Amino acid sequence: MSSQDDIAISVRNLTKTYRLFRSPTDRIKQALTLGRGKFHDQFTALRDVSFDIKKGETVGIIGKNGSGKSTLLQLICGILKPTYGSVQVNGRISALLELGAGFNPEFTGRENVYFQGTLMGFSRAEMDARFDDISAFADIGEFIDQPVGIYSSGMFVRLAFASAINFNPDILVIDEALAVGDSSFQAKCMVHLKSIQKKGCSAILLVSHDLVAIQNLCTRVLTLEDNHLVCDAVPEQSISRYQTELSLSATAAFPVGHPLRQGPQRFATLQHMSVMNVYLEAATQFAMGDRIVIELSFVCHEKLPAGRFGVTFSNTSGVLLHDFASGFSGVIGFAAGCHTFRITTGPILAYPGRYFLGAWIQHSKGVPSDDRFGSVLAIHVYDGGKVGHREANFSGIRCSNTEVYLPCSFEKI
Amino acid sequence: MLSTLKTFYQNRGLLLELVKRDVLLRYRGAWLGLVWVLLNPLIMLGVYSYAFGYLFQLRGAGSGGLPYVLNLYCGLIAFNIFGETVSRAPTAVRSFPSYVKKIVFPVNILPIVPLGSSLLHAAFNLLILAAALAWTGHLSAGILLYPLFLIPIILFALGLGWFFAAWGVFIRDVAQVVPVLVQISLFLSPILYPSSIIPAPLRPISDLNPLAAAIEAQRAAILGTPVAWNDWMLSCLLGVLVALLGLLFFEHSRDEFADVM
Repeated sequence: MSSQDDIAISVRNLTKTYRLFRSPTDRIKQALTLGRGKFHDQFTALRDVSFDIKKGETVGIIGKNGSGKSTLLQLICGILKPTYGSVQVNGRISALLELGAGFNPEFTGRENVYFQGTLMGFSRAEMDARFDDISAFADIGEFIDQPVGIYSSGMFVRLAFASAINFNPDILVIDEALAVGDSSFQAKCMVHLKSIQKKGCSAILLVSHDLVAIQNLCTRVLTLEDNHLVCDAVPEQSISRYQTELSLSATAAFPVGHPLRQGPQRFATLQHMSVMNVYLEAATQFAMGDRIVIELSFVCHEKLPAGRFGVTFSNTSGVLLHDFASGFSGVIGFAAGCHTFRITTGPILAYPGRYFLGAWIQHSKGVPSDDRFGSVLAIHVYDGGKVGHREANFSGIRCSNTEVYLPCSFEKI
Repeated sequence: MLSTLKTFYQNRGLLLELVKRDVLLRYRGAWLGLVWVLLNPLIMLGVYSYAFGYLFQLRGAGSGGLPYVLNLYCGLIAFNIFGETVSRAPTAVRSFPSYVKKIVFPVNILPIVPLGSSLLHAAFNLLILAAALAWTGHLSAGILLYPLFLIPIILFALGLGWFFAAWGVFIRDVAQVVPVLVQISLFLSPILYPSSIIPAPLRPISDLNPLAAAIEAQRAAILGTPVAWNDWMLSCLLGVLVALLGLLFFEHSRDEFADVM
């Protein structure tokens, strides 16, 4: 039985179906027939999922919206009851399923933290011992004695996160909670999670769309797709699989009538774009320092002797990081008809994360774009351990305070 | 069922905290704060005295010289425990979706919270009643038995509380229906009148009212007249039955709460 002892969570054939009633009347009919009638449709949120998580493991769960991630966490926490299958949990769970769930806005931060402690089964004295750690971690100053309702969302997150991780849980479940909060607080959480990992006695379960954080923290990643568990592997493998699934497709057409698409398209219309690695294989993941090959097609409705175009590279906040403009390379002027260009970039010196590629075209220099769309494709830049031939170590660092990485060397003189 | 009762015991600290929050939240921010706990029943007693004692000049039949107002007040204290718990039941669980869906929480203690705060209010009411009885020279040791007579009422309130709390999650209409039912039960119970005025042919039906025996017993205790212990025992047993059925229904349906909220 000793092998059973280090299992923190054991999930077997877990399935969850919801009954969907078309109207409240149907629900009453169902109740009155003591469940024998059938006045509802069924919706399966999770289908036949099995896995074990050992103590000390940090497991990420990734998947598209609606793939069953949150349902899985709720089942593990015992909030939902499985329709079939079983969940076995060894130890005390602390769950951050929704930030500050259970916080009452009318009460002060202090009162809410104590209440949270009561929920976790701590006595007042035990909470007194923990409170200073919690308030120090949250670092919200004298707001701790103000009603939570007046907190900024940042303060709210900090307090909720601080109280959840300071209860020494055996199992820590976090659903998208790291996404809020400023970068220094995120870094602090990362450090704290890593220190929990080092102690090696708690299991951490993390749902996130932030693949960089997942890659940084997790020892193993589960991928859910269409309510199934489709991949249970090391982070690199799961993430790359997910990237492929995540309509991080390597080819896309410029969407017609998209609200963010600008320009009258009087002289030219952008058509589609594909992205490849230097071996001309379709790809959406690039290590820092890799070159990206982009193919862009557009139609000129008439001859454009001074026409020019560009490919844009921007971050998830929409900040334009670079513009690969054809004019810079002297590619100016196009005949009427369809054109396809292949653009090979230099080494990409952006930090690990998600970026958007887009394009624009104009009929001459200095006029507004005739067609422009900034996010036709998404790519993922990861930390390959080196940039070009130089060693570079970004693990554990979220470098959102600068946009671009410039390689450099340090010598002591 | 036993394990459910055990979780109630394990979560007593949490329950106490929730009741405290419930009471504090009601008065938080009010200038007079917790003074209202005492002020509210005092004002009500004043209004009853004016309307029934001064305007109507009512002297309750069979009340042994006890002013009608105090007679009424005595019944109302007990009834309010029932009324407050039951009428708040439909929203007791429904108004805390995050407890049901987002955190690990023993939801079956939520319907007990209104009972807790109504008991606290009742305690203050009882103090005022005792003072008023002393003032009019009717105070007897019988009032010490009062809490004993609350047992069947508490059990009923809990049973119906669990029942309506579960229904309230699934069907919103319950929140509309229950206050009406509570109002009806106020008039069908011997609170505004002693049960002795109910015509004999209706007696067997009115005796079925589980609240009646408890309320009559309270009156008897306060007046110092013999208490109908048999009736009280019977309503206690009935109360246990209702409470268990209510809890059973709640436990049966709680698995689906998170699905529908």
